[in-house]
Amino acid sequence: MTLIDVNNLQKSFGKLEVLKGISFEVQPSEVIAIIGPSGSGKSTMLRSLVHLEQVNWGTIRIGEQDLVKDGKYSSNEIIKSITSRMGMVFQHFNLFPHLTVLGNLELAPRMLKRASQEEIQAQAISMLGKVGLSDKRDVYPSNLSGGQKQRVAIARALMLNPEILLFDEPTSALDPELTGEVLQVMKQLAVENMTMLIVTHEMGFAREVADRILFMADGEIIEAGTPEQIFNTPQHQRTKTFLNRLL
Amino acid sequence: MFMKGNVDMDYITKIIGPMLEGAQTTVLLFFICIISSIPLGFLITLMANSKVKPVSWFAHSFVYVMRGTPLLLQMLFFCYGLPVLPVVGEYLIMDRFLAAGLAFVLNYAAYFAEIFRGGLLAVDGGQYEAAKVLGLSKFQTMTRVIIPQMFRVVIPSVSNESITLIKDTALLYAVSVPDLLHYALTAVNRDFSIAPFFVAAVIYLLMTLVLTILFKWLEKKFKFQ
Repeated sequence: MTLIDVNNLQKSFGKLEVLKGISFEVQPSEVIAIIGPSGSGKSTMLRSLVHLEQVNWGTIRIGEQDLVKDGKYSSNEIIKSITSRMGMVFQHFNLFPHLTVLGNLELAPRMLKRASQEEIQAQAISMLGKVGLSDKRDVYPSNLSGGQKQRVAIARALMLNPEILLFDEPTSALDPELTGEVLQVMKQLAVENMTMLIVTHEMGFAREVADRILFMADGEIIEAGTPEQIFNTPQHQRTKTFLNRLL
Repeated sequence: MFMKGNVDMDYITKIIGPMLEGAQTTVLLFFICIISSIPLGFLITLMANSKVKPVSWFAHSFVYVMRGTPLLLQMLFFCYGLPVLPVVGEYLIMDRFLAAGLAFVLNYAAYFAEIFRGGLLAVDGGQYEAAKVLGLSKFQTMTRVIIPQMFRVVIPSVSNESITLIKDTALLYAVSVPDLLHYALTAVNRDFSIAPFFVAAVIYLLMTLVLTILFKWLEKKFKFQ
């Protein structure tokens, strides 16, 4: 069964066409890396999946539910129920600076009354253990390193037990020596069969962890395939140029 | 007395009673104004940010008028202006303290509205996105995520504004409401002594000192570290 079905997604900012008919499918437990030059629409595409961007045309189907069908959005209730199945990790973390690490993890489940206070706290503590930050539970985000912040952000997204995790350049704002700890957590999630879409510039990571790679440029998916196909035998000239510039 | 280089404590004891009574009026006006104008100011901020054009237009106009005219003019308008309006004027005669208080509340609400608007602008847009993706409602996003962060940003400006308010209460003198300054000036004229002015200054300084300490404490408490 297809978990994410995106068909002919189109989006413009004014006159600028950012997405020119994007189509792809994601199966449960798949890890998809989305690569490509900046300004190619990768982030916009990812953000439109959780309704942070509104598309002009196309269909986004998550499981059995339509977020948008042929450019027409579902009711707010359905949108909310769909987006609640997804978690998102941002480039700049977007942690809540006025709450402690534990407070960041607990806020949403508490507001949504997902479980009792005790259960939520127990879950938060276990999530922090999972990302290796048990000792930071009472610390404010301003006292964390970038890598620690991003791991908290991942734990926060996991608190709502999402079926799908979206990563928008999760390591781009980090010092190079801090990317490893974040990628390690993401690798672990892949092992646990989390469905993930990752916009990234970490080619080594994409090659190692992704099941499939989407190469985007100028608002289109130029080429899609296994890491093997994309990195070793790219078919399209644009893909070759992009990869050559990186290697 | 001061002129001779030593302070006559007996005299100061004598005048301090009525002056503290006047200070009560000052403090009362301060609290009425702070308690009403902060929520009202926030409401105006929300209106100014509203997507409904007439609502936002009204809020911006309100701020423009209340900030663009002297507080003294507004006080005189409410005390002596409204009652001379034809037909409705006789129903608009208010207690002078009340009329002055109304002018203060509306005037300070306009300033607080601008302070809060700046505070909201200082909150990173990513905070709204994170809250949305986590499924928080708009109300929860405001009360749990945005306002606490705005609060931290606006503390220094609110502190500044409330110290200005303490001093602005002296404008009550212009509409003959007996406040701290009124009693001081009465004593100066009656006793031909400059000491009451110094006593008044010390009382004002004590009030602003309390505010300074309070806001420094708030700043520390909301440092989030």
